[in-house]
Amino acid sequence: MQVYEAPLRDMKFVLHELHQDDGFGNLEALEEFTPDLVDAVLEEAAKVAQEVLLPLNRSGDVEGCTLENGVVRTPQGFKEAYELFREGGWCALASDPEWGGQGLPESVNKMTEEMICSANLSFSLYPGLTHGGTTAIEGYASDELKQFYLPKMVSGTWSGTMCLTESHCGTDLGMLRTKAVPQDDGSYKLTGGKIFISAGEHDLTENIIHLVLARLPDAPAGVKGISLFLVPKYLPKDDGTPGPSNGVSVAAIEHKMGLKASATCQLNFEESTGWLVGKPNKGLEAMFTMMNTERVSVGVQGLGVGEAAYQSAVWYAKDRLQGRSLSGVKNPNGPADPIIVHPDVRRMLMTMRAHNEGCRAISAWVSRALDAEKHATDPEVKQRAQDFVALMTPVVKALFTDLGFETANLAVQVYGGHGYIAESGVEQYVRDARIAMIYEGTNGIQALDLVGRKLPAHMGRYLRAFFHPVSQFIEANKGDETFGKMIEALEKAFGALQLSTATIAQKGMKDPEEGAAAATEYLRLTGLVAMAYCLAKSALIAQRKLAEGTEEAAFYKTKLTTAQFYFDRILPQATAVFLAIKAGKGSMMALEAEAF
Amino acid sequence: MSDSIRKVCVIGAGTMGAGIAAQVANAGVPVVLLDIVPREGENRNAIAEGAVARMLKTEPAPFMSQAAAKLVETGNIEDHLDKVAECDWVIEAVIERLDIKQGLYAKLEAVKREGTAVSSNTSTIPLANLVEGRSDAFKRDFLITHFFNPPRYMRLLEIVTGPATDAAVAGKVERFADVAMGKTVVHAKDTPGFIANRIGTYWIQLGLNAAFDMGLTVEQADAIAGKPMGVPKTGIFGLVDLVGIDLMPHLQASLTSTLPKDDPYHEIARSHPLIEKMISEGFTGRKGKGGFYRLNRDMGRRKEALDLATGEYREKTSARGPSGRAAKGDLRALVETKGAVGEYAWAILGGTLAYAAALVPSAAADVVAVDDAMKLGYNWKSGPFEMIDRLGAQYLAGRLDAEGKPVPEILKLAGERTFYRVEDGKRQFLGLDGDYHDVVRPEGVLRLADVKLASKPLLKNGSAALWDVGEGVACLEFTGKMNALDGDVMKLIIEAIPLVSSKFRALVVYNDADSFSAGANLGLALFALNIAAYGEIEKLVAGGQMAYKGLKYAPFPVVGAPAGLAVGGGCEILLHCDAIQAHAELYTGLVECGVGLIPGWGGNGEMIDRARKAPMMPKGPMPAVAKVFETVSTATVSKSAAQAKEMLFLRPDDGITMNRDRLLHDAKQKALSLVEGYAPPEAPEFRLPGEGGHVALNMAAQGFRKRGMATDYDMVVSDALANVLTGGEADLVDTVSEQELLKLERETFMRLVREPRTIARVEHMLETGKPLRN
Repeated sequence: MQVYEAPLRDMKFVLHELHQDDGFGNLEALEEFTPDLVDAVLEEAAKVAQEVLLPLNRSGDVEGCTLENGVVRTPQGFKEAYELFREGGWCALASDPEWGGQGLPESVNKMTEEMICSANLSFSLYPGLTHGGTTAIEGYASDELKQFYLPKMVSGTWSGTMCLTESHCGTDLGMLRTKAVPQDDGSYKLTGGKIFISAGEHDLTENIIHLVLARLPDAPAGVKGISLFLVPKYLPKDDGTPGPSNGVSVAAIEHKMGLKASATCQLNFEESTGWLVGKPNKGLEAMFTMMNTERVSVGVQGLGVGEAAYQSAVWYAKDRLQGRSLSGVKNPNGPADPIIVHPDVRRMLMTMRAHNEGCRAISAWVSRALDAEKHATDPEVKQRAQDFVALMTPVVKALFTDLGFETANLAVQVYGGHGYIAESGVEQYVRDARIAMIYEGTNGIQALDLVGRKLPAHMGRYLRAFFHPVSQFIEANKGDETFGKMIEALEKAFGALQLSTATIAQKGMKDPEEGAAAATEYLRLTGLVAMAYCLAKSALIAQRKLAEGTEEAAFYKTKLTTAQFYFDRILPQATAVFLAIKAGKGSMMALEAEAF
Repeated sequence: MSDSIRKVCVIGAGTMGAGIAAQVANAGVPVVLLDIVPREGENRNAIAEGAVARMLKTEPAPFMSQAAAKLVETGNIEDHLDKVAECDWVIEAVIERLDIKQGLYAKLEAVKREGTAVSSNTSTIPLANLVEGRSDAFKRDFLITHFFNPPRYMRLLEIVTGPATDAAVAGKVERFADVAMGKTVVHAKDTPGFIANRIGTYWIQLGLNAAFDMGLTVEQADAIAGKPMGVPKTGIFGLVDLVGIDLMPHLQASLTSTLPKDDPYHEIARSHPLIEKMISEGFTGRKGKGGFYRLNRDMGRRKEALDLATGEYREKTSARGPSGRAAKGDLRALVETKGAVGEYAWAILGGTLAYAAALVPSAAADVVAVDDAMKLGYNWKSGPFEMIDRLGAQYLAGRLDAEGKPVPEILKLAGERTFYRVEDGKRQFLGLDGDYHDVVRPEGVLRLADVKLASKPLLKNGSAALWDVGEGVACLEFTGKMNALDGDVMKLIIEAIPLVSSKFRALVVYNDADSFSAGANLGLALFALNIAAYGEIEKLVAGGQMAYKGLKYAPFPVVGAPAGLAVGGGCEILLHCDAIQAHAELYTGLVECGVGLIPGWGGNGEMIDRARKAPMMPKGPMPAVAKVFETVSTATVSKSAAQAKEMLFLRPDDGITMNRDRLLHDAKQKALSLVEGYAPPEAPEFRLPGEGGHVALNMAAQGFRKRGMATDYDMVVSDALANVLTGGEADLVDTVSEQELLKLERETFMRLVREPRTIARVEHMLETGKPLRN
């Protein structure tokens, strides 16, 4: 059964307690968002997620989207849910107040995103893509376009898409073919086909605003010849109501592994009118600005699904009676003990829990930096925040979605045979989670971004924003009475990360393939250390709270134990990936292609 | 006739004459500088005196030291021409007018001793014309010595002798110019423009013509005609700005009037209206109101370039579009690049190389002379024939032929062959007889490059190598980028010590590069700092200390032979050598404070030891420490080897070699002279001023701070430096061992390394090349 209750206590912990000393806080611009206000927003978001979106998750999966006569229909209930969602102001949560948004801090927004993704990943894409679109328009479009489109998009009245992929090119966008021909009135006519367009067509909003990558007639070949265009489904009339159809048609909707309630469309543009966003041939820059913020959000999707899968597994592990505990009967009145008594089930549940808490702690840290990047007044803080975000974006995207999938998979395992049956609801998590490892840049691409771009930039300056706090934390707490061992383990893993970093920097300079061959493991090692740092820090805080005396002893004790489990059972993986990195590309690249 | 030159007279105190006089003085030889008596004013020596005064303020400085300036005696040709009788060489550097020169020679003939060489610095007038009307005796003593501007820094000297010139007189001048003045002599025939300027002018003219004809911007042209060809990045237009745009018509007039009628220069010599307009309005380049480039101070020091089409200045563009960089130094790929890049590259390179090839043997005896002239006179990385080898002589000939242009004989002679080859470890060139001949280095010239052609390294890793340079002497070479020092260098030193002690008699630390060493590899260090790998940094510091002390106490003499930049760790290794043989152009210093650090490889102790043994240093622990503090806290760098002695980076008896090519040989001789009875130095013990001295040094630094000459963070860094130099916790009565001082140095260094403001300084230096004053 799909069970979900927003982990509000942990969210408040990572927002208000864990990262207070990260130097990204106390932003004057965000002063009005007091802890009380933030908590209230989170509680309201939890209600929407649990009460409005969760009930539609499985039905949406079963029913899916349909395409009839060129019209895409979302599953039953989605339209009403979207209406409620929009009216509640949830579409506009993190947008700039100038365009009617509520200007909520990213740190809070990312928590609400997590809840929405936990409750209904398919649904999350509709407002999510709109938000991505508004980011690009805000950053790069002309004032005229901004004035006209942003208010409607921010409010959720109109939705947005990102049209990048074509049938022959995904990762390698330099090959794309859609063309844009300038018109006398300053607009362009776009012609071409796009695939894999999430929310490309649906019945939730009165208009859809596509952001389309295309080539100008005189554009140079490759990625330096790509421009970004705004192309509405219906050409708006001057009064802002949707006008005539703009030549955008749906050729098909994809039949996918999961995420079935999200309409993934093949779109055809035929002489569709569009307007240039940003400078000619600089489309990728604009697209990547948006994509970078989207990548953190996709990471949060992984976490969201992971949390729902974990809770559903816990529910089942307590409910399902099977076998007896090896340490003596725990449920004498029943025919068997609940399976949560079994060590292997515990192993799975603790793993899932540790992954989720570790990722959530990182999510809060990175999104605090997103806020500082935007609002900090001290240029040094701003720079450090930018560096940190740049470094951690690929880590968040790939680590969270890898672990989210792994966690969903474990949930199926906890359910046993029943997990493999659709009615249990947990196999949907596996199918839904799978896409997050692929879209917005596959996790392999994320790893290359980390190793090839982020690691060497400015002689490793981005790394400093992460390595220095971890190093200082280790030095400050090395001899800690209670946590000495934990810090030692963190130090060891951190040492492996330092060594790997230096090795990759050195080898990669001489032979880029060496860097690329180590990339995925290196990203994982970074993630493992980041989680270890956050969880060790959590443990220290929990210990202090317990020593001071608290009414929430249960929460902090659980936190402590989860951290301990992570150090006992998960962090040792750091040694394994370290060894893999050290091995180099040798055997990986040795075979001739014909030998495969 | 005296066979050595003990005193020189330079007549003509313009930029060239004065600069030549300064370089004579830099060699430690007294020099008389004369010019005419000014028409106005009472001081009859005003012109020569003014020239010396001006040179003392010029940067880069013509004098290597104050002491050198004192060797120049000034005067005028009316009252002091008799001084010529005291001189062994008279250099005439007056205005380029035949009548004036001839008049002067007539007067000289009356006062000079027989056997005193007279040479003209003319760049345009044939020797035969100059000596017209002079006696045979005068003709025997006469030759042309053509220096390049600025005479201290440009290594080329073209020498032209006439049919009557006495070989002994020419030999005396050549030896002095080479050994004492540090010039590399290239023999040229008595033809207009000699070698370098003849080719250089042709090259510039082609570059200007093609840029105008093709409608290129000056940035585009220079981006192609600079780095991608191994030519300084000034390219064509930047070079013309540098030498003076107004010089162009003069050169052109001179060459067109003197070159034979069939010389290809006549076909390309033309004037461009824009250039004429610029000259007439005073836009003569860097010395004038601006040139093809300028810095517009009214617009916040905006860098501007001239639009060749409109003649208006506009902002200099950095996005130059396609340049020749894509060819990555492959000349064939460069001239074959499609579009403007390849077209422009071929226009100037094809034309210039063909022109240069046709000058052997009419203007130069062999290809080596042509290549040396362009490398030393125009700072080209490769000479024309070396470039032809990279392009392919046959390719060049074929393409010229296909375009209906004449193919120089020497290209036909080469055929499929190259002009240079390496045979049995020896570099050889193609002679006019069609055979290869060894490139012969003058006596006393030893190049590591030649050693490397003939042998394999004894040891080698990514950053250093060890070579056998003969007679039982090994040579430690740095090989990294900018010869930066890192763990690999230290590792190789540690490996080299037992090898040298068992198989060699001495070691020199030397390399052929322009910069001896820019110091520790800061990029590597910054990366390590960014990932908080402090342990690695400490290992690097300790490893360097150990390696340098290993050299110091090795059972064989070690001679450092630096040239050019030797700063930070590159200076510290010199401080650990038994002796130094330095090139006169040595820019050395301990610059660590500039990046928020202190010397970490034993430099502090060595400098204190140096200072306390320096002559004239007052006794007691404080004066030596204060002197070192002053030099190191301000990151002072010497501007010559002579100055490095004043700053105590060199010892009084360390040697100075004027000619860069002779440095390795001289260093080797110095090392060999130390072999007999060599015993490593005793480890010093220090008596340091301790806390009291530390406070005094801090007060001195505060003085700088108050005058706005030091920043807050400078105070932190200089405090750390003072801590080490005064011995930390040491008390006046304690002695501090070398090892204890090293430990203090290391600990203090490691403290600074963790400071965010130090990281900011290092980062800024690496990203911008300039120090951050935080």
